[in-house]
Amino acid sequence: MASAGSGDEKAAAAAMITLISSDNEKFEVTEATATLSQTIRHMIEDGCTDGGVPLPNVTSKILARVIEYCKKHATAAAGEEGSSSSFSDAAFLEVDRAFLEELEEFDDAFLEVDRATLFDLILAANYLDIKGLLNLTCQKVADSVKGKTPEQIREMYNIVNDLTPEEEAEIRRETQWAFE
Amino acid sequence: MDPSRPPPELIDDAVAEILLRLPPAEPEHLFRAALVCKPWLRILCDPAFLRRYRAFHGAPPLLGLLHRLGPVFDDAPVLRFVPATTVPAFPHPGSNDLSCRGALDCRHGRVLLELRSLSGGFLVWDPVTGDRHTVPDPDIWYFAESAAVLCAAPGCEHLDCHGGPFRVVLLCAEDSRRDITLASVYLSETGVWSETVSLPTGNIYVQAMRVALVGDEIYFVLGNGDCDEIGIGVYDWARNCLSVANPPPPVAYGQCVLMAMEDGSLGLSGIEESSLYLWSRKVNSVGAAEWVQCRVIDLKTVMSVADLGDRARVIGFAEGVDVIIVSTDVGVFTFDLKSGHVRKVDNCEAGGYHSALPYMSFYTPDHSGLSSLARIH
Repeated sequence: MASAGSGDEKAAAAAMITLISSDNEKFEVTEATATLSQTIRHMIEDGCTDGGVPLPNVTSKILARVIEYCKKHATAAAGEEGSSSSFSDAAFLEVDRAFLEELEEFDDAFLEVDRATLFDLILAANYLDIKGLLNLTCQKVADSVKGKTPEQIREMYNIVNDLTPEEEAEIRRETQWAFE
Repeated sequence: MDPSRPPPELIDDAVAEILLRLPPAEPEHLFRAALVCKPWLRILCDPAFLRRYRAFHGAPPLLGLLHRLGPVFDDAPVLRFVPATTVPAFPHPGSNDLSCRGALDCRHGRVLLELRSLSGGFLVWDPVTGDRHTVPDPDIWYFAESAAVLCAAPGCEHLDCHGGPFRVVLLCAEDSRRDITLASVYLSETGVWSETVSLPTGNIYVQAMRVALVGDEIYFVLGNGDCDEIGIGVYDWARNCLSVANPPPPVAYGQCVLMAMEDGSLGLSGIEESSLYLWSRKVNSVGAAEWVQCRVIDLKTVMSVADLGDRARVIGFAEGVDVIIVSTDVGVFTFDLKSGHVRKVDNCEAGGYHSALPYMSFYTPDHSGLSSLARIH
């Protein structure tokens, strides 16, 4: 694994945080990885992370994926800070671009999950307040909704239609142009 | 993980995050999503969500185009709202009211139309809400004109200007003396036109093209009938004074369109042969201005059209979304300066449009009968 341990890092970056999933599995992560979550960042600032951070809304399976995302993106953030302090000649820009491409590939591969997992990731990203992950997963769902009929959307994402036939008819009347 | 497992139920916050990312330039997706279930309908009509939605996306999308007629005795094409995306056919007031002439401006969610009746005057129309306000003619005799409609709500960021106070700025040539340019402002709150200010502009007078609003300044094209002499007028509506800007670059001597650029400068675009030229007016620290060419676009390449015809002209610009509107012998196209995306929006031949006015607004499910349904539950 990259980063945290490698000698010249500040001591703070190497500080470890324990995250505890709903099924009581413990995950050791660096502070840099954990603080991609605003929720955890605030807990660290308030000094409430001793003895681990319980995350009762996130299963170990989902937490493992979330940590995978955060690790990759924390490394990316550290890399960006590093390069911005250097003079940006063509070689550095080239490295930056290669890195961004790699990150994009990682994100694309990360999204190759079934719909239930995608929704679990959205709920976790929302709860943990991880902006990048929330954006990535929600954009994926938004893109999949485009061009679909309401019936198809309900079926794809297991959504119960609680509109009465009368209400549905009225909405269709008001929005007929959107279905033409 | 079990791939056959049904997705878990989402909390409203998570649904809102998804719906937030539906593109405003394709409003049909929002309206279809409103029909999925009650929670989705409620979120899509919730004012707090919609404020976030508009702020998230920034500039209102280009929903459609309106014709701006040529000077004086133009043979009017059918007055209509030409959708640039999927939106309902907003009924143009001119389609059943013969006293309505073409549009003069679109801005801040409103369309300014010219009335043809004896008493003259203008109509300010909001296609999204259907609101209409008549504005009387100012007490002056004028010849050619251009005009702007502006939102006047204090502190407004112009993402959702519906129903608030507005201004109509009239820029025209005096009827008896075309060498005098006049400006006057109508305030919707008081219902009166301001005292007219004037400026001698020589042989050139206001041309029937859309104005550009940059800060408090309204820029407009001046020219003589043959367009062999051309200039740019400036009306500062906060200070109520008229002036003339430094002469435009040579490309303006075909038909040019003034643009409010992203960097806060005044821009100008025009077509020569089959290339689109973009210029920006840079003002230095001591206030001296010069025109700088900032982009040249080969239209034949970007439009994949073999022959643009002799009459390719730039006829409009949608600020905020940075879309140029070009009229050719084979139809009217929009060209997205950022993405390079080209779309044919109208089959109308060149000449059908003198200039095109971009109508930009968010069109969200609250602007329909859906709000009342969402409130019931």
